[in-house]
Amino acid sequence: MTTGYHPLVKRLLDGELSLAELPPELRAEGEEALRLAGAADRAPVALSPALEERVMATVRRHAASPGNRAWRWLNTPRDVELRLRVRPWTVWAGALAAAAALALLLGRPAPEPVPGAQARGDMRDSVLVRFVLYAPGAHRVAVAGTFNQWDRAAAPLVPAGTSGVWTTTLALPAGQHQYAFVVDGARWVVDPGAPAVNDGFGRRNSIVAVTAPGAHL
Amino acid sequence: MGVLLGLEGEATDAEVVRAVLAGDVERYAVLVRRYRDRYARYASRMLGSRDVAEDAVQDALVRAFDRLADCREPDKFAGWLFLILRNRCFAERRRRRRIERPLDSTDEMFAAPDRPDGAYEQVERAHALERALQHLTPEQREVFVLKHMEGLAYEEIAGVTGATVASLKMRMHRAYDRLRELMKEHL
Repeated sequence: MTTGYHPLVKRLLDGELSLAELPPELRAEGEEALRLAGAADRAPVALSPALEERVMATVRRHAASPGNRAWRWLNTPRDVELRLRVRPWTVWAGALAAAAALALLLGRPAPEPVPGAQARGDMRDSVLVRFVLYAPGAHRVAVAGTFNQWDRAAAPLVPAGTSGVWTTTLALPAGQHQYAFVVDGARWVVDPGAPAVNDGFGRRNSIVAVTAPGAHL
Repeated sequence: MGVLLGLEGEATDAEVVRAVLAGDVERYAVLVRRYRDRYARYASRMLGSRDVAEDAVQDALVRAFDRLADCREPDKFAGWLFLILRNRCFAERRRRRRIERPLDSTDEMFAAPDRPDGAYEQVERAHALERALQHLTPEQREVFVLKHMEGLAYEEIAGVTGATVASLKMRMHRAYDRLRELMKEHL
């Protein structure tokens, strides 16, 4: 029956001690342990040269399938240029109205599709969704998700006074979207007021489901 | 062609990811070439077979393409792909454990030269270690592979696996004891 290694020998294997730092009575055990670690094969492993072509053939097939094409079309963010001709007083009136509406909506933590608020023209099929995060002490907050290609800079939230509440409203197409908040450009935070799912890679994403205008959630 | 290769070499992962998402599917080959061999050794040691590892790397690259829109941080594509491959390796181990005995096909990865200068003994020991690794838990095997074969520090392993340094050390120290027992004829 072989016993386990002495804790100091384990530290030797971890690279925290040298053989010379072991007590003399542990040197032989240390040398044996180093033979074990030295047996680790660090040689590169070469895969078949055909792997790249196999991957690309599969990828091309997936990219060409109607389902994938539809999903990518829905999921790929696009730049939309809006040109407005306005009188200055209407801008101020609009800003005041938006601020009043925002103040009324601030009490609800989860992002929520705003019924009947869909934009006109090119945004006819989108629904305005408000994102709110309570993050006192944050210097910057943004929301990134499948709707903006997880771009941390695309959708910044603005602070609502000094209350620590950050908010923004985005026009999202109907469908289910995954997202998370990005605090100070680095820290990913799930929305505490929304359901979340595992993204399959050990992290959590929040979920918002946007229904077509006129439908009920 | 040289210019093309130069551009490929200079393009960041994030730039390639965005180009692929914008519809330039062929640019994905840049990422395939960049990462296929980088993760081959990890997959081979985790799965105990180069052939099975090749399937795993291929599947991971295809799955990464299919889910590219979910890649939160395109500039960290390498880590994201590693997590996909890691999940794939763990799933493969679970699948094999259910349907058959553990993989034991490491012979294919080693030559055994008949030399009198101790090289044969070293090759035998390396072979024995590969076999012994397959008898560790997947978590123990992974931390051994990443530290002693990929050369990562505990902090770096914590970064890619999400485990704490303390729990990684505990896994590793159990692995040392188990490997000592499994390899007692070769040490």
